[in-house]
Amino acid sequence: MEKYGIGQPVRRKEDARFITGAGTYIDDVAAENMAHAFVLRSPFAHAKILNIDTSEAENMPGVLGIITGQDWAAEGFATMPTKAAISKKIDGSPLNQPPRHCFAIDRARYIGEPVAVVIAETREQAQDAAELVEVDYEDLPAVIDARKALAEDTPRIWDNIEGNVCLDFELGDKDATEKAFANADHVVSLELVNNRVTAAPIEPRGAVAEYDATTDSYKLQNATQNVHANRTTFADVLKIDAESLHHLAPDVGGGFGAKNSSYPEPPILLYAAKKFGRPMKWVNDRNEGFQSDTHGRAQFSKVELALDKDGKFLGLRTRTVGDLGAYCWTNGPFTPTGGSARTQGGPYNIPAMYYSAVAAFTNTMPTDPYRGAGRPEASYQIERIVQHAADTLGFDPVELRRKNLMPTASLPRKTPMGLDVDSGDFPEVFDRTMKMTDREGYAERVANSKKNGMRRGFSIAPYLECSGGMPKEFAGISFTKDGTVTLRVGSHSTGMGHETSKPQILAHTLGVDFDRIDFIQADTKATPIGGGHGGSRSLEVGGAAVLKAANEMLDKAKVLAAHLLNSNADDMDFADGVFTDIKTEQTIAIDDVIAASFEQGRLPEGMEPGCLDTESIFEREIISCPNGAHAAEVEVDPETGAVRVEHYWVIDDFGPIVNPMLADGQVMGGVAQGLGQALMEEIVYDDDGQLVTGSFMDYALPRADSIPKMELGYYEDAPTAKNPLGVKGAGEAGCCASPPAIVNAVLDALKEDGVAHIDMPLTPEKVWRAISEAKK
Amino acid sequence: MYDFTYHRPETLADAEKMFADADDGQYIAGGQTMVPVMKQRLAMPSDIIDLERISDLKGISRDGNVLSIGAMTTHAEVAGSGDVAKAIPALARLADDIGDPAVRNRGTLGGSIANNDPAADYPAALVGLGATIHTTSREIPADDFFTGLFETALEEGEVIVKVSIPVPDKAGYVKFPQPASRFALVGVFVAQIGDSVRVAATGAGPCVFRVEAMEKALEKDFSASALKGISVPGEGLNNDIHASADYRASLISTLARRAVAAAE
Repeated sequence: MEKYGIGQPVRRKEDARFITGAGTYIDDVAAENMAHAFVLRSPFAHAKILNIDTSEAENMPGVLGIITGQDWAAEGFATMPTKAAISKKIDGSPLNQPPRHCFAIDRARYIGEPVAVVIAETREQAQDAAELVEVDYEDLPAVIDARKALAEDTPRIWDNIEGNVCLDFELGDKDATEKAFANADHVVSLELVNNRVTAAPIEPRGAVAEYDATTDSYKLQNATQNVHANRTTFADVLKIDAESLHHLAPDVGGGFGAKNSSYPEPPILLYAAKKFGRPMKWVNDRNEGFQSDTHGRAQFSKVELALDKDGKFLGLRTRTVGDLGAYCWTNGPFTPTGGSARTQGGPYNIPAMYYSAVAAFTNTMPTDPYRGAGRPEASYQIERIVQHAADTLGFDPVELRRKNLMPTASLPRKTPMGLDVDSGDFPEVFDRTMKMTDREGYAERVANSKKNGMRRGFSIAPYLECSGGMPKEFAGISFTKDGTVTLRVGSHSTGMGHETSKPQILAHTLGVDFDRIDFIQADTKATPIGGGHGGSRSLEVGGAAVLKAANEMLDKAKVLAAHLLNSNADDMDFADGVFTDIKTEQTIAIDDVIAASFEQGRLPEGMEPGCLDTESIFEREIISCPNGAHAAEVEVDPETGAVRVEHYWVIDDFGPIVNPMLADGQVMGGVAQGLGQALMEEIVYDDDGQLVTGSFMDYALPRADSIPKMELGYYEDAPTAKNPLGVKGAGEAGCCASPPAIVNAVLDALKEDGVAHIDMPLTPEKVWRAISEAKK
Repeated sequence: MYDFTYHRPETLADAEKMFADADDGQYIAGGQTMVPVMKQRLAMPSDIIDLERISDLKGISRDGNVLSIGAMTTHAEVAGSGDVAKAIPALARLADDIGDPAVRNRGTLGGSIANNDPAADYPAALVGLGATIHTTSREIPADDFFTGLFETALEEGEVIVKVSIPVPDKAGYVKFPQPASRFALVGVFVAQIGDSVRVAATGAGPCVFRVEAMEKALEKDFSASALKGISVPGEGLNNDIHASADYRASLISTLARRAVAAAE
């Protein structure tokens, strides 16, 4: 049992399937008599749709029909609402929410917006016909830069929305912060960008929709990371009963937030399945993904830090312009507002903080939460301004950070942003990371780099973030006579290994055989509720639900065990899968108790066969605060501007680690994703709104040789009391810490060149140019 | 991808006949550019004539101071060839650094130079080494072969048979990868043959070009320091989101020095 216990590096059960090509991804899904849909997307960032002529396309071989925005509008379907947790402006009025239909009806507002959908016998035929759909566009001026979108003379994207503003937002104590700045010895200020990126999951989005006329019900298999919430949205759009829509996800190849969003294609597909009486399939290709998957980050901020003469932090003020793209997408308005505000200041003791933001519309693909959803932005903001303070005021950057960390004795506390920080030991974590980084050998490494004409730099980046996502989660455990245990969960793995970690919790708690546990997720028929995947919630909420259900099952099993042993439930002890009567020392194994639960004759009064099946819902009251300290050492080639991350060190505090191998994977993946944002990833639209980075030929993702050797460790001595596992979300921490660690290390390397700041991504040209310009 | 008719001839004569008979024929070598272009529906040939089976187009041989490489020789074969490694190690390394293993196992020397992608590696090597391109109808010096952006001296239907490359005394190639595609943002090939030196830059402009000021300096003194102070004007160089013209110009100088230092 211990082999599969909590804390063990159990190998991923799902990997055998995934790495032998036996996984079932959406493109592997087929239904009998299935037709195919191809989405014709707007090639213009902003254009009126004057007319659509489908006559020629309709006569192409294999074409079953074509749906346009006008057809959709005629059906009277509802728009897709934003479900952002921040829904009001500062003055209390609701945010400006433009109507988001599944099609661009009379005006297209971003490249990739669906204009028409062609249904044909094959995808090729649908695509052939789509080329003959004649759309008469009238090009309109496109608004691409969110900062310019707010200017008075900028054209409106939505006629009734003045200034292209969705909402404004503030959090913190403005007056106290102003006072802190007024009384400060030093004030430093920096303008910086959190660059627009795309998730680029290895599996593009896609779905298969079916309609059953006899029961008037639908089945949607969808490459999503949130079946329950999207079922509600899709049903609302189509004005059908949510219960009539069975929404499930097969194996999903990565999401990173982008597959949480509610997209227009699935409802269109459901509609088409009914209209044409055929199952419908649609799968995006990679180019469509670049255009039409929600983007992340896209924030422009001014960050100011007030310090006293000794370098003690007194106040932090951040002002952000967030780029929402053309619509309020599913949670888009939350990211640059509440999402970025909560963890302002990171792990530092800053008595006064004030965050304000304005979220703007642009003619670009809308943004939505992307791995971290505001916390990586906040982490980058505080760590850059702290580094900038050290560099410009002459403090040692390591010492400046160390002395401003929240003292351990000050926990639990609430930050001025209202974040409930209950547990942790930030100075200890910081020191442990520093100890890993071999400072003794650093001077020699710097000298070696110099000898080769290179620069070397180092930075540590402590971080404090928080979990998020839906606070409720479901777990169901059921047993069969043959000894199989089935675990059904409402959380959703899109590659993180829940098929291993969730059964691990169950095996550990019940002492049942890990290999006998079947795992079901992402199916609205299997679980009554489900929060899917997002906000690093899966272990702290989903894992807690499994633990809760297991413990409730044990309470029942104890009663049965006592009955079987002719003893008293109060006298039953349970450990390692065995019930023991503490008085008589009689024992019975849980497997025997489970077997007995199917025999009516062996059950006490009030228990029925199958009585051990248990369903439970766990609800988190307060989000957890994952934290840690990462450090990076980089080498920069000043002649070419190329950056190489040479070493990377991590101590993370996620509470107790359930499966260190899975945790390592989360950390490394997050660090790699952050490295991508720091050094190479950026979605670029040109001034006319054309997407320049429309393929992997121009959008740079990190590759294996971009990733440094990482040394990882965990601080497990400060479990949180916010959930029964004591865990703190691990999924997004890596990309909170790595952008500032890497960017600050590069700037440390370029200190001698007089380079003060470079905006992400730190591409070779930008680094080279910064060095060249500093020389002037 | 649009529908097309696929042919796989065994001889050059058959291939040329198939091409002549086709409405809008297209030869295909390794397909590493052609197939993605067709998948994106950016090309609509009526007939694809696959040169894969034609044995006359394959193979590597050395005759005295001339290395011959058949047009349908893959990058992996060039990278793995003992003859190439011995004669021109820089060329073997160049081939080994193209794309990824799948690209190197499919992509060919002839396909690459016929396509003449401005960021391809082989054009720099062939111009840098003063190679000759042998086709079904003539011999073309590399200097005259690469004529512009995706353009070559090849006539309609003309097929590259092989290239012959003089073995240099020393040669070096250094490329700086475009961060996304890993094609050459700039690549510089330097070769010394007797008293003559050639410096060819790829990725930097619309088409591979020689840097004469550097060649002259290196003919006097084949050392990295001889290039000090020699810069290439940014004017006319490529300018895109990955690199501006002046950055590319700077890379030419840097990479040329490194290529000289690495030459063997």
